[in-house]
Amino acid sequence: MITKLSHASLFVSDLDRAYDFYVNKLGFRVHTDVAMDNGFRWLTLTPPDQPDLEIPLLQPLHPGMQQSDEVREAFRVLLENNALGAGVLYTPDCRATYEELRQKGVQFKGEPREQFYGIEAIILDGCGNWFSMTEPKSH
Amino acid sequence: MNMTSPDLYTRIVSAKLFMDEHFEQAMDLGMIARKACMSKFHFHRLFKSVYKKTPHAYVTLLRLERARQLLQSGTVRVGAVCHQVGFESPASFSLLFKRQYGTPPQCFRRMSVLKNKRALDQPALFIPRCFVNTYALTCLEKQDTVA
Repeated sequence: MITKLSHASLFVSDLDRAYDFYVNKLGFRVHTDVAMDNGFRWLTLTPPDQPDLEIPLLQPLHPGMQQSDEVREAFRVLLENNALGAGVLYTPDCRATYEELRQKGVQFKGEPREQFYGIEAIILDGCGNWFSMTEPKSH
Repeated sequence: MNMTSPDLYTRIVSAKLFMDEHFEQAMDLGMIARKACMSKFHFHRLFKSVYKKTPHAYVTLLRLERARQLLQSGTVRVGAVCHQVGFESPASFSLLFKRQYGTPPQCFRRMSVLKNKRALDQPALFIPRCFVNTYALTCLEKQDTVA
């Protein structure tokens, strides 16, 4: 029986930039941050209200991650085009969070809009991923 | 919440960002409400409506979170952390910290120091085997074996 999601990886183009975005701007917490001798860094984060969901940030273009040139090139193209991600970030108030993050320099694809499921804005992490930031409709 | 004026969002967010930056200092509701150019009552109501917690609860959370980060680093003692993040009473700090994170601050700091030492000595032990295998992190496999 599987009962919950405990780890969900995010592939990012740059770990330091990703750290700044997820920790300093979005307020995620650092769960584990260890560095290996070869420069490979194992960095995992948790969302503010989900301490048991660990998000490893993986840098597929780092030489410490061994994979074929073909796979590395595919990752490079996906990351450069912000084509990865598609997760949904919950917020209790989309317009307020949009205003706050906009002031912090976070990039959005347009202003918050009403959808049938709530109020949504599309957010870019600047490291290859996009998310829906959604305030669900109250039922 | 459905506030019709975008200006209201800007004012509430400005006050929140003020709290984010100055939570380590003594602050009261009147001071924060003035940042939003609102009465205390109006600000309190709108803030709670947007963030689902009172301004006081939010500042307390900011202080606890900063305390958690400082204790996690293992470089600052509990008493110093308490005052540095803006709590006046060590007893209430300890109580609130345990309520929030499930562990008293002294114990949390001790465990963090041990974890940090282990992370320095044996970093490979923090990386799940499935990631090592999937991404062929062979250098880690060697270290893991040595450890």
